[in-house]
Amino acid sequence: MYIIGENIHIISEKVKEALKARDAKFFQELAVKQVEAGAEALDLNLGPRKNDWAEVFPWMVETVEAVVDVPLSFDSTNILGIEAGLKKVSKAKPIINSTSAEPERLEKVPLIAKQYNARLIALTMGASGIPVSADERVNIALEKLIPRMMEIDYPMEDLIIDPLVLTVSGCQEYCPQLIETIRTLQFAWDPPPAISVGLSNVSNAVPNENRPLINRTYCAMLMGVGLKMMIANPLDEPLKETVRIIEERDESTPVGRLYLKLHDRIAASEAPSIEDVDMSDPEQLAIWKTVQVLLNKVIYADAYLQQETSAL
Amino acid sequence: MPVEIPKDSWEGTVRTVTLGATSAEGGTRSRTITVGGQKTLPFMNFEQTAPNRPVVAVEIKERRPTDWSPLLLDVWGDAANDPAAWAKQAEAVGADLLVLALTLTDADGAPTTPQAAVAATKAVLGASALPLIVFGPGQAEADNELLLAVAEATKGERLALGICEDKNYRTIVAAALANDHCVTARTPMDVNLAKQLNILIHDMGLPLDRILMDPTTGALGYGIEYGYSVMERLRLAALQGDAMTQLPMLVTPGFEAWKTKESKVGQDVPEAWGDWAERAINWETLTAVALVESGADIVVLRHPESVRRIHKAIDELTISPEMA
Repeated sequence: MYIIGENIHIISEKVKEALKARDAKFFQELAVKQVEAGAEALDLNLGPRKNDWAEVFPWMVETVEAVVDVPLSFDSTNILGIEAGLKKVSKAKPIINSTSAEPERLEKVPLIAKQYNARLIALTMGASGIPVSADERVNIALEKLIPRMMEIDYPMEDLIIDPLVLTVSGCQEYCPQLIETIRTLQFAWDPPPAISVGLSNVSNAVPNENRPLINRTYCAMLMGVGLKMMIANPLDEPLKETVRIIEERDESTPVGRLYLKLHDRIAASEAPSIEDVDMSDPEQLAIWKTVQVLLNKVIYADAYLQQETSAL
Repeated sequence: MPVEIPKDSWEGTVRTVTLGATSAEGGTRSRTITVGGQKTLPFMNFEQTAPNRPVVAVEIKERRPTDWSPLLLDVWGDAANDPAAWAKQAEAVGADLLVLALTLTDADGAPTTPQAAVAATKAVLGASALPLIVFGPGQAEADNELLLAVAEATKGERLALGICEDKNYRTIVAAALANDHCVTARTPMDVNLAKQLNILIHDMGLPLDRILMDPTTGALGYGIEYGYSVMERLRLAALQGDAMTQLPMLVTPGFEAWKTKESKVGQDVPEAWGDWAERAINWETLTAVALVESGADIVVLRHPESVRRIHKAIDELTISPEMA
């Protein structure tokens, strides 16, 4: 699993403050910590920076590249800011996060990616928003994103399609659809396009104590349909442990066996089964309840783990 | 060619909730009202006949409302000056049960006292033998103070007390628990929040057969489609076996419909809008019918003519296929 570290994100109060103070040490420590934890690239989400982009983006590149060598992913809606950052990059091949199929973005952003030899994350989202259904999202990739890359002769191997993770708290019906989107997208092109998702989005608006469980359960399910790249929190040890269990097919623990079973069921297009779960184990029970909400079988509520099992 | 009508079979059942208690059950009601119990979507009579019909509650207040449409005040006349008379009148026009919606202040603008709330509730219970729902004024502190007093003074009557919301439900639920009442749980048109509040209330020890959920709705033309979809989704989840959504639903189309311009305003509107009273009643009736079709078990109405029309609509919708 190729993890793009998500932790330099403006939504965090600490990041916001450190950026305001241009606290280089803070960002360097956070960058090193993520890379040491296994991040193979770093997402930089600094917000649009309408007024100070010309200074902030290059400053961040310089700051982070002073301590790590990994690719930097420019996560912004501000194309000028991204370009200013790209000009400053001196180490690994960078990533632009992102274009969508919205006409204006699709016109401009791939050209910049090509000009600066950057990889490009392309969202399966058109001008009218994010479609619920898997088919529609695949169609956006097939009919809009890929043709545009061909048109400008952008190297297909540098394209990364992001079929968009939405939160189980409010957009629950999108969660199972994403699984099928990832499954189908791999047949969209030969060779299959790279696919990446923003994993943590699945637990946006979920109380903090439940987020890691939802993230890693969804991760196991998405790995079942072939997910190999994601923007995620590399400091989340249980998440990485789940990835390791699946990658190494480590059947040594009951919980590990459940994650593998779940992964295999999804891979085989089968419904995960209650027979796979030892209901007397609270950890397995919690995973099973999480699967049920992620598959949109049981309505999500913040207290979903408190719901009695008979309810499922 | 004979056409086979496909039939769904669901694993879940909506719970039943019984409101009101007869003398044999420790109360003073002449009869009780039971809602819920469905094993299929509304009015799919060819699949399963629902054990309980949707019912109509009529909303009354402890004093003449100052913010209601003149159309409503005219039709209720002097009865609206006195909760006992109003309750009798509501029963006479076909209410299955009553909602007493308490006002925040008395006629002089002073906060409504617990004593006044209890007196009004007792007057209503004395005048009509129908089961009763009591709503607080909708402000947390006042709701808690008034409903606690009402709950204690009516122990055993199996009222429904409302409105429980995520920011304020503990006192009301505790009052219901201690005095053998039910509660209504209101959430703002969101399936996740509706389920969450049911879990929280149930966690306090109130059995699920004493909780009605109020997913909130909008009037026709004012967001009813959102309310409709939320109710439909909740009911589908209930039938699919999600226990924390298997509660009967109460909604307040009367309150919603009578807020709209189409109902409220009689002057300076396009002539094509037609007769004001007819339009207002249609607005309330059509709002309520749509909600009944999306799974509402209790609709709270305001106009006597709407009550008559909704009963008629429910009669027609519940006819079994053999009789049709």
